[in-house]
This record gives sequence, C-alpha cells and structure tokens, in this order.
Amino acid sequence: MNASCAATLTRDADHWVGRFVAMASPCEVLIDHAPASVAQQVLDAVAAEAWRIERKFSRYRADSVVHQINISTGAPITVDEECANLLDFAATLTRLSDGAFDITSGVLRKAWTFDGGDGVPSQEQIDALLGAVGWHKVDWRRPVLKLQAGMQIDLGGIGKEYAVDAAASRVEAIAPGLSCLINFGGDVAVRNTRQDGQSWRVGIESCDRAGTPMRIVQLARGALATSGDSRRFVFRGGHRYSHILDARTGWPVRKAPHSITVAADTCTQAGTLTTLAMLQGENAEPLLQASGMQYWLQ
Amino acid sequence: MKKIPLCLVLLGLAGCAQVQPWERDVLARPEMSLDNAPLDAAIDDHIYFSKEASSGGRGFGGGGCGCN
Amino acid sequence: MKDNDSFNATLAAATCALLGSAVAAPVAAQDAGSDWSFDSALLYYGESDGRVSDFSAAVSALRDLGDERKFSATVTADTLTGASASGAIALDRPQTFTSPSGRAVYTTPAGAVPLDDTFHDARFALNASWTQPLARLYTVSAGVGFSTEYDYTHIGANLSLARDFNKRNTTVNAGVAWSQDDVKPVGGLPIPLSQMLDVDNNSNKLGGSESKDVLDLLLGFTQVLNRTTVLRVNYSYSDSSGYLNDPYKLLSVVDPLTGDTLARVPIGQGPNGVYLFESRPDARTKQSLYAEVKHSFGDPVMYFSYRYMTDDWGIDSHTGEVRLRWPLGEGYIEPQLRYYKQSAADFYRASLVSGSALPRYASADFRLGDFDATTVGIKYGHGTPNGNEWSIRAEYYQQTGSVPSEQIIGNQANRALYPDLSAVIVQFGYRFRP
Repeated sequence: MNASCAATLTRDADHWVGRFVAMASPCEVLIDHAPASVAQQVLDAVAAEAWRIERKFSRYRADSVVHQINISTGAPITVDEECANLLDFAATLTRLSDGAFDITSGVLRKAWTFDGGDGVPSQEQIDALLGAVGWHKVDWRRPVLKLQAGMQIDLGGIGKEYAVDAAASRVEAIAPGLSCLINFGGDVAVRNTRQDGQSWRVGIESCDRAGTPMRIVQLARGALATSGDSRRFVFRGGHRYSHILDARTGWPVRKAPHSITVAADTCTQAGTLTTLAMLQGENAEPLLQASGMQYWLQ
Repeated sequence: MKKIPLCLVLLGLAGCAQVQPWERDVLARPEMSLDNAPLDAAIDDHIYFSKEASSGGRGFGGGGCGCN
Repeated sequence: MKDNDSFNATLAAATCALLGSAVAAPVAAQDAGSDWSFDSALLYYGESDGRVSDFSAAVSALRDLGDERKFSATVTADTLTGASASGAIALDRPQTFTSPSGRAVYTTPAGAVPLDDTFHDARFALNASWTQPLARLYTVSAGVGFSTEYDYTHIGANLSLARDFNKRNTTVNAGVAWSQDDVKPVGGLPIPLSQMLDVDNNSNKLGGSESKDVLDLLLGFTQVLNRTTVLRVNYSYSDSSGYLNDPYKLLSVVDPLTGDTLARVPIGQGPNGVYLFESRPDARTKQSLYAEVKHSFGDPVMYFSYRYMTDDWGIDSHTGEVRLRWPLGEGYIEPQLRYYKQSAADFYRASLVSGSALPRYASADFRLGDFDATTVGIKYGHGTPNGNEWSIRAEYYQQTGSVPSEQIIGNQANRALYPDLSAVIVQFGYRFRP
C-alpha cells in the first residue's frame, strides 16, 4: 500500500467531490445531492474498487495476477472468473482489430518511451521485440493461460474503463438511484440522471492547450472515454507519434486523430471503441460512424 | 361570488414521506415533469379560453386574444 | 475489419459478457454547445355546422444556459375563418342582420341558429421568458407577451418567484401578471344594449378603441408525495376591468307570449328583427383553485387535474382532466379525457322580453351560459434515435348547454336555444434539438 491510498471528500456548490489516485491517474467521484455519510460511503466504495482492480491487474505490483502471469515463463496459470472475463474480452478485441490491439504488445514499451522526447527505436529493436508479441502465440483455454517464455500481458488498455464500470456497479448496489459521476483519468461513467434533470458537464481537454476544455459534453447518463496523445507522445521530425502502438508492426498508428472521445452506455464500450478507432489511424472516423455512437474528434 | 377558503389541506402535505435526492430517478424522467408539454398546454389553454368562461389554473390565465 | 453490423454486435456482446448482469441505461450525452431545443406544432381546429375553423402554427425555442438559467420564446400564428353563434335565437323565418362593418347585411335561414357574419382573421403572438436562480433555492422568472389581430392587440408581462424546501421536495411560488388589451372592432364600438341599426347607420357606434386591463396573482405549491408521485396546487386570483363586452354579440328581443323575435322593417337594407348589442359589467373578479397530480405506475404515467373557478359574474365551473401515458415501442400512446361544467353568468339571458324593463347587463353569448363540455382525445408520440420526437394528437370536443326553464318563452320551447358546439382538433408536433 502506498501513501496515495487516501480519498478526500469536499463539497462543491451542489455536489460532493471525492478525490484519490489510482491506476496512475487522478480519480474523482462527483456525487449529486446526498448526505455526507452517504457520500463518504460511496467514495470509499469507489476508491476501494479502483484500488482492488489496480492491485489485482497492475503489471507493476508483485501481488497482482498479471505479474504472476508475466513471471510464469511458460508455466500454466489458472485465473479466476474476473480475470478470465477480461482475457476473453481482450481476445475478442484482438480479433475485431485484426491483431492491431493485443494485450501481449506491452513488451514494446522497452523500445518506446513516450515522454515527449524524440527517442524513436530502430527497426531491428522493434523486430526483436515483435517475436514476443502476438495473442495467437498464447495458449488460452479458460481458465488456464500459458504464455510462451519472454511474453508479457498488459491489461492497461482496458483496465481503467472496466474499473469505472465495476465501480459504478458497486455504487448502484449500495445507493441505488444515486446520481454520481465516476471519473478515472478521463474515463467517465454516470449510471443515473441527476435529481433535477440536469446533466453532468464533462470537459474534454484540448490537445493544444492542456487544462482548458476544448469541448463540454453534457452527460445526463452513460459513459465517456477518451483516447489521445495529449499527454503521452513522441515528437520527432515534425511528426507526433501517438502512444498507441499497432501490435502487428510495433510502430505507433499513423495519421490517427489527436484525440477521440466516445459516448456509450458503458465505459468499457466507450473506451474500447476509442482504442479500436485510434488503431484504425486515418480510418478512425468511418469506424466511429459505423458504430452509431456519438463521438468527438480532435 | 362564493369565496374559496384557502385549503389548509396543504399543511398536511408537508409531512409527506421525504424522498431522498438519490431516490428521484422516476421523478427525473421527462414524462413525470408537470410541465413536459408546454406547447400542448398553451394550445389547449387557448382553445378552452375562447370557448369557455374559465381560464388558467396551471399558470397565468391565458387570454390575450379577441376571442372571448 | 469485419462488416459493421457484426462488428457492433460482437463488441456489444463482448462488453455484456465482461460486465455481467450490470444493466446500464442508454447513454444520454450531448454537446453542451447545442443547448437549444425546439418544439413545434401545427394545429387544425374545426367546428361542425360551418362554424369556426382555425389553422395555427407555433414554434417554441428553449435555451438552457446551464446553472438553471433558461430563456424561452414562442411564436404563434393563427388563421381563423368561420362564424360563431351571435347570441340571437333561431326563428321560423329567415333573419337578416347588419354585418359588423355596418356596410352590408347577412341572412340566417329559417330554423337555423344565427351565426356572426363569416370572418377571416389572422393572429400573431409572441411570448418570451427568462428564468434564473436568484440565490440558493430561489428562482425568479420574468416574461413578456404580445399578440395582434385585426381588431385586437394585447401586451402583457409577468414575474414570479419560487423557493424550494425539504431537499427540493417542496416548491412554493408566487407570481403576478399584468396585461392590457385594446379592442378596435370593425365598424366601431356599439353602445351596449343599443339596437342593431340599418346599413350605413352608425349612430349607435363609437369610434376609437377601448381597453381592458387584467391583473393576475398566482400562489402555487408543488410537492413530491413519494418516489412516484408529484402534486401541484395553485390558487389564482384575477381581476379584469375595462371593456369586457364582445362587440359583435347580440340578444334577440322577443314577444312576451310567443317568444318570437319582434319583427322590424328596415329602411333600405338592415335587420328584419329587433336585436340589441350585449352589455357586460366593466369589472370581473375570478378566483380558482387548481390541483394536478402525476403518478407513475412503473412505465405508464397517469396525469389527473381538477380546477374549480368562481367569479363575481355568478359563474362557477369545474374542470376535471385525466390522461394516461403508455409506452408503446419507441414511443407512447396517451388517451385523454376532459370534463368541464359551468353555470351561467347572472346576466346571461337567452333572449330579452319586450315590455319588461331592460336589465343593466345582459348577454346571450353561449360562452357565458350553462353548459357541460367533454373532450376525448388521444396522442401518439414517437422518439427518433437522436432524441427528437414527433407526435400527433386528435381530440373531439362537445359542448352541450341548456337554458333555464324560466327563460324559455312560448315557441322557443320547440327550438334549440343553446347553440351546442362540437369540434375536431388535430395537432402534429415535432420536438428537436439541433
């Protein structure tokens, strides 16, 4: 447990704001019209769920399931139902994206450090790493997972959105009908509409000017997820390389929009669509249009 | 003209079961709003104002036409 | 990438499998940039027997500026044609009247209820209002209105203040409205209880215009009764003063024995009977008590309202309305029923008896008489995928009146004295957010 396992609750105009840090992102819970005790309960539940998922699926934590899998060096690991569901989901995404999305592509971060600098790896470096990338190389027969030696999995691409939906379910269980907005680093979900019919106003940060919203979306109910390069990118030779790598080539997706925001019923759906769309690069928009969901591009 | 005693029934209503803010999901639905069809209401008010001797009730008394 | 439908379906199924039985309601997200919403309606109103028919169009715009600040404006245009019952009674012989302009005559066939001369009128109205919070729990609202037609103009303003209590379960509001209307009838203002004269004889008509002022006070109380029910109760007080007559309405002067309208021989063109223009008091005070309830039975929603009105003209009325909204596919169906009953004004007279002293005030306007009215209707609404809604409403309105037996004289007993009214109303509506 690190020192950031603390959640603070403050009052802002007509709603509560709970803040904490989880999954390396600032998280907040906005709670509409509730007494302090209920707001605290809700915040505690959301933070607990976020930290639980972080503990369980973070590749950095020695006690996480993902770490166990990543050090298994080819030995079979039996996973629980929640982990199995996530692996099945990831497999579906790999299939839907024809391999561009792949949870085994995490090893490529050894070549790419998206810190705004100009470090771009060589093709040889990437080719060496690509040998350990590819879901088709994984032996996944629920509930047993067997990676080849040198392979790693990283659930970072779907973990945060899943955590938002899981936290929303927890809140619904303890305070049904309560309107609260859960925001884990830009992945947002609202289960129930606000009491007075108003919407929650969510600002989507501008890619050019960090901190100022480019657009305000009124979210009465549902979820928003944003995928974009405003914070993590490599800038070289006049090109901005987004941090989303195409697992088939090892290179960042080309000509992708700077940022995609999608509105959907659940955060998982929204986040998945933004990721899959980004992976399409310049064909992101047709995919978004075909999905029938509302989206905003930058 | 008969006078209407201001109904003190209203006093009893304030003691109704208090609905907590997070229990207002049903009430937040648009069709549960008392003013969810303002154009229909305005049209009805206008028709009935021009054919009957009473007007208003829900809001200010309609009228504003040469039809009554 | 696989084709779109199977892509979307696969993704939806995968998400469902991952999140388990977590049921999420459909997303409602909207660019804050487009905070305008519009509501529009096209209406047809048609009475039977060649009486009034009206086409009207209305567009209403609402802008939500956030923080509970709202602006709304409505524009309405109407075109009316047809004729209403003039107040004169039916007779066994044709009746001739001078038209309101004083320049021509029109005739009612024997046995028919006399209607005003057919008119064409266009009306244009504009209303705007602004709402904003005044302090925590206080909301203030102000509005203005204007309407004009060829013989009538209206301007008005209103102001109201609302305060919430009990975690917004209770709202109390108080409001005041003021309006001034100007009447400038075609052919001039007839002197009340003066006789209808021949064509081009305007000696009983005054030029210029008259005005009417109305002051309304409203005290309202809205209360959430439980999770599925909300109640509103309003008390209103209304004071009108000035010119309250209808300049086109008449009373027939009848023989005390036969009850038939006295005959008259016009010089040239003019009325062939004795008719007097109506006279109403120059002040009217109304009070009403109104209550409405909305209750949700799961998906269907029921609406019920009742209004009691009483005034110093002797009119009492009761209005009851019920509607039940049922979801139907992507839309809803809402049957509705309204019942209205009013008692006659003290000075309502079916006709005036020759030889008796002329009362100070008298009117045969069917709208001040004793009648029941029923409306049956149904509305169907359908939502479109992007949150817009179109709707259609059809109603049938039937008014049946009666004249007190002491006012029925002689042959009048064999004729319909009260001009029953029936009308069909059809409305198309469309609500959208750009």
